[in-house]
This record gives sequence, C-alpha cells and structure tokens, in this order.
Amino acid sequence: MALSATVSQRKRVKRKAPRGFLKRLFKRQKPHLRLETSCDLLVHLNCLLFIRRLAEETRTDACKNKCGIIKDQHVLAAAKVMLKKSRG
Amino acid sequence: MADSYVSDNEPTTRTLLRRVLDAEVPRTPRRPRSTRAGAQRTLVETPFSMRLRSQTKTTARWHSHRARSIGRLAHIQTSEHLKEQTPRTLLENILLTAPESSMVMPESVVKPVPVLQMVQFSSRESSPGSLELQLPELEPPTTLAPSQLASGKRKQRLRLSEFQQGMDQGLPVPQGPLAEPHGNAGASSLTSSLNLTFATPLLTQSVQRPGLARRPPTRRAVDVGAFLQDLQDTSAALALPGDRTPVATLPTDTVLEDTQPFSQPLIGRSPSMHHSLPCPSLSAERTVSRRTRSSGPGMQKNNTSPELASSTPEFPQARQLEFLEPAPPTSPAVLSSEPLEPLSARLPPRVQTAGPRLRQDPYKTGLSHYAKLFSFYAKMPMEKKALEMVEKCLDKYFQRLCDDLDVFAAHAGRKTVRLEDLELLMRRQGLVNDQISLHVLVERHLPLEYRQLLIPCAFSGNAVFPAQ
Repeated sequence: MALSATVSQRKRVKRKAPRGFLKRLFKRQKPHLRLETSCDLLVHLNCLLFIRRLAEETRTDACKNKCGIIKDQHVLAAAKVMLKKSRG
Repeated sequence: MADSYVSDNEPTTRTLLRRVLDAEVPRTPRRPRSTRAGAQRTLVETPFSMRLRSQTKTTARWHSHRARSIGRLAHIQTSEHLKEQTPRTLLENILLTAPESSMVMPESVVKPVPVLQMVQFSSRESSPGSLELQLPELEPPTTLAPSQLASGKRKQRLRLSEFQQGMDQGLPVPQGPLAEPHGNAGASSLTSSLNLTFATPLLTQSVQRPGLARRPPTRRAVDVGAFLQDLQDTSAALALPGDRTPVATLPTDTVLEDTQPFSQPLIGRSPSMHHSLPCPSLSAERTVSRRTRSSGPGMQKNNTSPELASSTPEFPQARQLEFLEPAPPTSPAVLSSEPLEPLSARLPPRVQTAGPRLRQDPYKTGLSHYAKLFSFYAKMPMEKKALEMVEKCLDKYFQRLCDDLDVFAAHAGRKTVRLEDLELLMRRQGLVNDQISLHVLVERHLPLEYRQLLIPCAFSGNAVFPAQ
C-alpha cells in the first residue's frame, strides 16, 4: 500500500543506492551471513551519513590549514577521527 | 551621379540607398552591363551586394537570385519607396538585383556603400586609389553563376580578410586570383568605411584557403582510433603509428586518464592496456613505451626489465608485462620472434590476474560512487589523491561495518542480519540517539521509494490506492 503512490509514475529513483554492490560486498566479507531485504538500504544510509560526516570533517580540516583544495592528508586526518567515532 | 555620391558622404543608409535607387531607376534592370553608367550603378550595387552577402552568408543563393531576379527586383526597388521599407530589406533587394557583372567602380559607387551596421558600405569615400582597387574586385563577378558562387564566397571572405589585413593600405591581396581583386576592393572600401562588418572575418580567412577550411579536425581522432586498433590487434601493428604515438597517446591517455583513474576493465583485455592503466602507471608506461619504441628491437628485452623494475610494483605489474610486450616496436624480424615469447609469458599472468581484476572493477566502481558523494558533500575542490584516500577509508569502513553486523547478529543468535542489528549499529555510532530516531534519518536522507520500503507506515491514513 505504501508503494502504490509511485507505481503509477515512472520508477526512476534519484540517488539510487547501489544495492547490488552492497549485497555483493557483504557476501564477500561474510559469506556465512545473510543480509535481509531492506538492510542494504540501511547500510547505504549508514554510508551516506558516514561520508557526510567525513566530508564535513575534511572540510573543517582543510579550512583550518587555509587550503582551498582538499588534500589527502586532510582526508587522512579526518578519517582517523571518524573511524574512531564510528567504531560501534 | 558620381558627383552626387562624392558630395554626399552621409553615412545614413537611407540616403545612400536613395541615391542608389535613383541611380538604378534610369537604367534597364535586365542587363546592367550595357552601359558604363549602368555599370557604375551596378557597381554600386555590387559592393552593396557583396557586403550584404558577406553579411548574410547566403552567397550562393544571392548569386543565383541575382542572375534571375535582376529585373524583378529592380522594379521592386523602384516601385517601393525607401521609407516604406527598411534600409536592410532594400539593400537586400539591391543585392539580388545587383548584377555580377559589375564593372568599373567609380568612386561614387564606392561611396554609397554603407548599409546598416552590418554592411560594409559605410562611407565609401573611396579615394581614387580605391577605384582601381575596386575594379579588380568587381570584375570577377562577371564570371558565370557557379563560379560566381564560389567567387562570391571567396570575395566576401577575402574582402573581409583583406580588410583586416590591409586596413590602412587597402592594397594587399593575399590569395587567389579572385581573392585579390576582392580583397583590394574590400580593403579599400573598408578602410574608408566606418561601419565595417566583421560578420565573416573568420569565414573569409577559412574560405580564402579552402584547403585549410576543409581540414577536418576529425583526422586526429581517426588517427587515435586507428592507433588504438593497432594496439589491440598485434604488437606489430604498434610499430606503425610509432610516429603518431607521441601525439596519439597523449590525447588518449589524457582522455582515458580523466575519465577513469581505475579503468581497469580494459586492462588485461588487450594490449591497449596502457591507456586504461591508472594515471601514475600510465605516465610511467607511456614513457616506457616510447622509450621502447625509440630504442631498437634489440633493446626491447633490456628495456622490459628496467621498466618492470621502475614501474610501481602494484597490481599493474602483470599489466605492464603485457603492455610492454606490445610496446616494443619496429623491426618485424625481431618482433616476430619476440612477440611469441612475451605472448606465451603473458598468458599465465593474464589468467592469474583475471580473477582479482574482475572483483576489483565493480568494487572500485562502487567505491567511486561513494567517493563522488564525498566530493559533493565536501563542496570544495579535491585532489585525485584525496579521492583515492577516501576510497581507502571507505574500504576500511565497510570492513568494520560487516564485522560489527556479524557480531550483532551472532549476539542475537541469528545468521541473518536484520534491521534491528543495523539500528543498534547506528545507535552505537552515535547517529541515532534519543533525539533523532532512525526513522527521522531515513526520511531525511533516503529517497522516497526507499523510505517506503523501510517505514511501512509512511503512507498510512491516506487515500486508498488501487491495488496494482
């Protein structure tokens, strides 16, 4: 019932989630595990949020160094912080 | 007539046109070449027409029209009054009627040239010298219509180019027999004229040298394509475009490099790998390939080893082998023997690397998808190295994510990862807390379709949809 609104329209999702990619990735990493149907969407959401936070962190890092371009050292420093934060 | 033209040097198109029309009226429209005066008037028209033609760039049409509709238009011109028509239309009519057989160009004729701004009539206060210059210009139009077409085109363009070149001189005539007179006349007229049309300066230059204009830029692309084909076919084929490689490789490499730094799918498929290799190795290999090509066949083997050593010891090493094999150029005698050996040596590494390569291709593309999102979120220009770093971080992140999910599912005694596991993960990550629930995040960041999948009650309480 929730889907009926979009069925009539042309199904073209903007900013699609690479569901196949995520599923394949999980399968490769954990072949003994199974991923539920809509779980990969949440995984995608998780990735989006992670990247968003990482990007913001990188941007602040670059601005701190008064750089107009993001360099890999900024990314590296920001990633260290972020990976620590998203340890779960 | 001439005097009147000479006396009145008003730049207004209207007055000039009036003068022209007055001059036109008395003479027979059919064959203006009959009389000298008529010729003069026609000459007046021809510069107009020429200018207009250059303006409108419809030379062919004008020419043809001219021959046919001289009489018609002449009548039209005479009948219609200047004020009723716009000067532009009138001038166009003049163009149509103006006979190609413009003969001598008296100074007076030159003067009433200026048309609106487009036409280069502007104040033909031509000096006496211009007369002579214009003479040759106008003569060519007497040629046949088809030739006139071409000549007209050339005339217009040449004139403009002439104008550009010999603004002050009004003399130089660079090219073509037709070009010269036109150029002279154009230059002369243009020098005096105030409003010069630069509508087709580029065209003129190009048309002046038809050979230049005809040169298709695609020739380069063809070379590149042929070069790629040669690369793909055999190593021997590479020997052919040896001269072109420095030119061809550059554009292709740059193009390929820009499109995908990880265009690995191409790698290993064909000898044209060096195009698809990542940028750093690409550059190294390019130089290497050039070196190999430049060096004799005898040096091939020597080169391959230092090249291998020099090249980055990554995954492309096998590729380099294959790449270098085809790279060695030239002498067919040596090539015939050498390609066999490298081919045999190439096959095993190909098979070996086929597996991991395929796995990495979609993996890398998936990562690059997220890397693009990163650059979008960052809102700042990024280096390519930074993007690669982002992809590495993503890789680590994914690994961690899978491990965590595994732990959570195992903790719950399940072998399937469920939504609760993910929610728990996000809670632990700090994304979901008491203030922000998972549903909120879903609604914020995911498109509608996914939202509906994840939140079953998103549309509850609304209109009844037909079951489809």
